[in-house]
Amino acid sequence: MPPLVAQLDTDDRSGILRKLEWPYIYALFAITLISLINLYSATHGVNMSGVADLFVKQSIYFVVAWGLFFFFTFLGPHWLGRLAVPLYTLNVLAVVYVSFFGKVALGAQRWIHLGFFNYQPSETMKLCLIFILAKILSQTPYDPKGLNLKALMLPLSAIALPFIFIVEQPDLGTSLLLLMIAGTMLLAIGIRRWIIFAVFTLGLVTIPIAWQFVLHDYQKQRVYTFISPGSDPKGSGYNSIQSKIAVGSGQLLGKGFQQGTQSKLEFLPERHTDFVFSVLSEEHGFVGSLGVVILFCVLFILGLRTASTAKDKFSAFICVGILGYLFWHMFVNIGMVTGLLPIVGVPLPLFSYGGSSLFTTMSALGILSGIAYRRYMF
Amino acid sequence: MNEILHNPEEVKTLLPRFKLFYFVLAATFFVFSGRLWFLQVYQGQTLRQFSERNHLKELKVEAPRGLILDREGRALVDNRLGYEVYLQSQYIQDWEATFATVAPLINMPPDKLEQRVTKARRQQGRFAAIKIKENLTIDEVFRLKRARLTVPGLDIRDTTVRNYTLGKNGSQALGYVGEISRTQLPLFRKLYPRINFEQGDIVGKFGIEELLEAELHGHNGVKLTQVDAFGREVNPTGTAQASQETQQLFGSYIKDRAAIPGNNVVLTLDMDIQQAAWDSFIADERIGGVVAMKADGEILSWISSPSFDPNDFLGGISHETWNRLINDPFKPLRNKVIQDHFAPGSTLKPMVALAALQENVIKPNTSVFCPPALPFGNRLFHDHLRGGFGNINLYEALERSSNVYFYKLGISLGVDRMHKYIAPMGIGTKTGIELPREAPGLMPSTEWKRLSRGEDWHPGENLSVAIGQGFTQATPLQLAISYLAIGTEGKVVQPFLIKKVLSPTGELIKETQPKVVRDLSDTSKGEPLINPEHYKPIKEGLRLVVNGPRGTARGRVRLDGVEIAGKTGTAQVRGWAASEIFGKCENRPKHMRHHGWFVGYAPADKPEIVVAALAEHSCSGSGGAGPVVRAIMKKYFEKYHPEMNVSVPVAAYVDRATPSEPEPVEE
Repeated sequence: MPPLVAQLDTDDRSGILRKLEWPYIYALFAITLISLINLYSATHGVNMSGVADLFVKQSIYFVVAWGLFFFFTFLGPHWLGRLAVPLYTLNVLAVVYVSFFGKVALGAQRWIHLGFFNYQPSETMKLCLIFILAKILSQTPYDPKGLNLKALMLPLSAIALPFIFIVEQPDLGTSLLLLMIAGTMLLAIGIRRWIIFAVFTLGLVTIPIAWQFVLHDYQKQRVYTFISPGSDPKGSGYNSIQSKIAVGSGQLLGKGFQQGTQSKLEFLPERHTDFVFSVLSEEHGFVGSLGVVILFCVLFILGLRTASTAKDKFSAFICVGILGYLFWHMFVNIGMVTGLLPIVGVPLPLFSYGGSSLFTTMSALGILSGIAYRRYMF
Repeated sequence: MNEILHNPEEVKTLLPRFKLFYFVLAATFFVFSGRLWFLQVYQGQTLRQFSERNHLKELKVEAPRGLILDREGRALVDNRLGYEVYLQSQYIQDWEATFATVAPLINMPPDKLEQRVTKARRQQGRFAAIKIKENLTIDEVFRLKRARLTVPGLDIRDTTVRNYTLGKNGSQALGYVGEISRTQLPLFRKLYPRINFEQGDIVGKFGIEELLEAELHGHNGVKLTQVDAFGREVNPTGTAQASQETQQLFGSYIKDRAAIPGNNVVLTLDMDIQQAAWDSFIADERIGGVVAMKADGEILSWISSPSFDPNDFLGGISHETWNRLINDPFKPLRNKVIQDHFAPGSTLKPMVALAALQENVIKPNTSVFCPPALPFGNRLFHDHLRGGFGNINLYEALERSSNVYFYKLGISLGVDRMHKYIAPMGIGTKTGIELPREAPGLMPSTEWKRLSRGEDWHPGENLSVAIGQGFTQATPLQLAISYLAIGTEGKVVQPFLIKKVLSPTGELIKETQPKVVRDLSDTSKGEPLINPEHYKPIKEGLRLVVNGPRGTARGRVRLDGVEIAGKTGTAQVRGWAASEIFGKCENRPKHMRHHGWFVGYAPADKPEIVVAALAEHSCSGSGGAGPVVRAIMKKYFEKYHPEMNVSVPVAAYVDRATPSEPEPVEE
């Protein structure tokens, strides 16, 4: 196997630039700018001296993240095929480790303390699962009727192993996201109709049982609150109500940059992380928030186009997995801050503050960009 | 290369499923844009209002209460600068230490302070500013200002505090204020719909303050302040940087409304006369009420004693002070000028005499034999002079206050003929003065007794009524009005305290016009009730009481420079045994001593001022009440008629042969 770098050497510079998927990079760059502008507002307020430096940090993170983006763009996806199994194995071990020795915070064990930052294995698990599923699915023979149960055994086991431990932590949000991402990838290859139907039915049966025996009280509370946020406006319903007020009070054009009273005066919780989209909606209104939704959609459409033009099934599955990863995070987060979904701690990719989330997302999008870059190569 | 790589044909097999992804994406886009449209456009206005209400808090700017002024515009009640101290929760880290440091500075036990703060934080939220004491003394302010350097969160704020310049003097008329109570709030809102009463408002609770609430209460203003989610004020008074930022951010929403002060009230009272009356009344720790009135009905002074200091009520009266007030046997909270009615005693005699003249029972110069005691029915009615008065006419009877003379008039007249003339003079009817809780007094009649008691009138009771005992009861104000009617020969006036109401800028809003309620000499409907010529002998008799050689009030009331006319009176507190009748009143326990009356007007021929004084448990009218009337008259004539050169006679003539007159009726 020839060194991957050698491939780069054979292309001239203008060729490299021509082959990059520029609309995709422009859209992503626009998101970066909007995200930073919005984060500035979310971290600068009357009483918020404590979080003001987060903007500077996140700006540096973005520079690093763009470096990672281009690194993975030029690195290409194929190393993933080789590293998928060891990465997956290591990550599952980390998840298992966390379940027994992890740092307890907010009643759940999710983190490994690494001195300079807290590593949350369930986050990287999402990517590692995408890689291993892409590898497994690309090696599964094509079946026009969709995969049968036998063919599904391996991918399902790969999903189930981390899923069980993450549910145990407990982190229902992450584990459900894991299922949704994996489900998206399985849908891409196709599954027998009866299996989909059976899973659906099984899900309906499981919900009441899970409600009774698996869900913790705080998780049930979130659902109650979602159904009727007004029942406890100062307590459990507070976040949901204040977020809706923030979003709605932005009206058509928004209150203006740095003029959101809901965020500036701390009525809105978790302004720079989970509810960062509410800050944007409050200050930039319907026009601003719809603009961001459109930018995300542009990314997804370009991503799906990349997937369809990918040169091999592995790359296509990686694309679908990464898009699923981004899509479901966005879907849950925006759904939650606009009151369409219960409040679960899911950040909005590229917008919420946080280095590790940003690095993973931008690396994943870099891989996607690398696949797009390589569609011209033979 | 790996066989999984570079096989674009295989990817084509996935494409049909991508349609599903495009569909999901499109659906998501429509759901999100629909939801955003719903929240931001459809519900946007409502949610915008929610967000405004979240962060804008209306702070009340209390409107200053209107002033209460005397007839010359001098402040009887005004507002002064006061201080109150708050704890700003957001700046306090160590509560225990704060309690320990602050409590001694404001003379409060630390545990009481802690209780108060805990309660307030529970009610108002964790970050509210808690008022821990109001109405601070200057000492406390200085101590707190010094402590502020080391105790974070101590906030000393200026307020206006009601200030009663006369202290205890006249407080039953002026009243006092206090914080509106939970039960009052809805009542006041209903009663005065034009005023927006709020919790924590200061309202009148008594006297003029209560009566004129609608005038004195201003309209509170509003200061919008910005608060954050924890209720912390984020206002322009913070740091310079925050101020600029907030102004820039939220300037357009901050719209304040200035407070409008209440109207000012000008009373008919004269501060000088009020002060003179008070000084003289309380000089001998007198108990009772005094009212001085001008001939047109304007009240010049209003004294009720013992009294209370309305300044004590500010910021909540202490339990100790309140208990002392309500347990005082002589009732400081009662407005004795109108709330207490007692037997008028001999002060009723001139009115009885007037009835007798009008009914032609006697002539002024008719000589009547007056033995020491008059048998009637199976009882013996005594006079107060042990030897009796012998043959006396009306002038002497009034001057020396003979009882037997008036017993005889009472027998001849009967109660109904007395009632016919005395009731229209104001005895037994509410005067209609502005102040509330007026006692009616009583001028009995046979009909009254039949209706109220279901009994027939007993002829013996005529004797009691004729000397102002028995059922008769009158307030000092009623007596002042009836004496003025005698002095002015028939004019029964409407007494009033509120002269004018002025807007804060001084425009006249209301003015009370003097009013004659009844003219007893009115001839427009035929014969007058009382022929004006009959007043002359009565007035002469009253003049002799003060100025005659044997007048009962000569020693205590007479002034050089102006002639005062009036009458002493004694009201029995309770009936005494026959053996006690001539015993010395002063030897009895205070609460069992007689009440002394003096009612007089001056100048004797054409009265300008009338004064009625009731000195409870003082034993004698001339000694207990007389000097007060003299002091008021002196002050009045010094002030308004300096050319008369009034003065207290140098060698005050005391006629020891004329005893003060306890007037026994029944034994």
